[in-house]
Amino acid sequence: MSGGDGKVSPYSLGDLKNTTDDALGNYLRGLSFTQDNSKLDIRLAMGYVMVVIAGAIFVADYKLGWEATKTWTAVGVAAYTLLNGAFTFWMWGVEKGLVFEGTKNGHKISIKSKSKKYDPTYYISVTNGSSTREIQAPFTRWFTADGYFEAKPFQRWLAGAVKEIGEADPKNAKAGDVENLIAANNKTAPVKVSGSDAAGTPSKRSSRKV
Amino acid sequence: MFSGLSNMQPRQLAAQILNFALVLSTAFMLWKGLSVVADSSSPIVVVLSGSMEPAFQRGDLLFLWNRGQETQVGEVVVYNVRGKDIPIVHRVIRRFGGGSEPLHLLTKGDNNAADDTELYARGQNYLNREKDVVGSVIGYVPAVGYVTILLSEHPWLKTVMLGFMALTVVLQRE
Repeated sequence: MSGGDGKVSPYSLGDLKNTTDDALGNYLRGLSFTQDNSKLDIRLAMGYVMVVIAGAIFVADYKLGWEATKTWTAVGVAAYTLLNGAFTFWMWGVEKGLVFEGTKNGHKISIKSKSKKYDPTYYISVTNGSSTREIQAPFTRWFTADGYFEAKPFQRWLAGAVKEIGEADPKNAKAGDVENLIAANNKTAPVKVSGSDAAGTPSKRSSRKV
Repeated sequence: MFSGLSNMQPRQLAAQILNFALVLSTAFMLWKGLSVVADSSSPIVVVLSGSMEPAFQRGDLLFLWNRGQETQVGEVVVYNVRGKDIPIVHRVIRRFGGGSEPLHLLTKGDNNAADDTELYARGQNYLNREKDVVGSVIGYVPAVGYVTILLSEHPWLKTVMLGFMALTVVLQRE
């Protein structure tokens, strides 16, 4: 559970991912991307229609009883089942973890995120109209060891790795490019850092005063 | 759990509320779906008395089926007494009419000395299959319904349970 002060358990993958998802949306809105909520709106519309159907059946049953309402109840159950199928398909087949969709200067961008069980890595796939890119980074790049989210390293990572965001935020993009390069090098050839443990960058960050 | 709600986007808040509402509405619609399939207002009931022992004990969960109105002698049916809302599970021991005429039934608890004429509403000597019977028993799960009996017979248990649930919500905050 995330507390009011923005601290989460650094061992809870769900909390790490949710906090990061929220930060991603806030960041891109802050860069004046125009958000397109149509996919979420369609899901909300389907869901609330379902709730209204169930509510109507509940009230009708309460007031009129089963015998008087059973035909319409059958119709309602059928409609609810169909909508539930459509709703599930929309969530797993269309949205698939969509966090942000929006445009800036005519460039459309859509970002989906996911994390895998017991793997503290944030995976996102970025689609810009035609092509899709998959990028990933460990959560330790923007979370301190005690679970505080750090906006700057997260923004540098995104701006450095995603061209459209980099164009909107050149300052972070420049710093992020360098960091991403270092991270990539560390992954292919783990270098022993003197006076530090093998984890390198994350341990440096975790000792930062907040 | 609720501390995060205040700093949410309106759409996120709407989605969060929707998740909660869908849990409730889907459970309700599953029940109604079962009602539609079984054609019964109450497709699952809990046995409240020992009048059908040893066939059914208090707390057994019964599944009812109300399609096919030609109920035979020996079938166990659940019926509501007119004017009262207590479902009773008893066995059919006589049938009158049927076919083109309305089917009338006389029932008796296996464990009772006499038939149910005493239980029926004043002036009623038999059940009307179509109006009074909720369904025939087609399956059962022993004992799992006992929780509902405990909760209805000892209302303070509900208070204890609610208090316990509230406590866990408060304690889970951190």
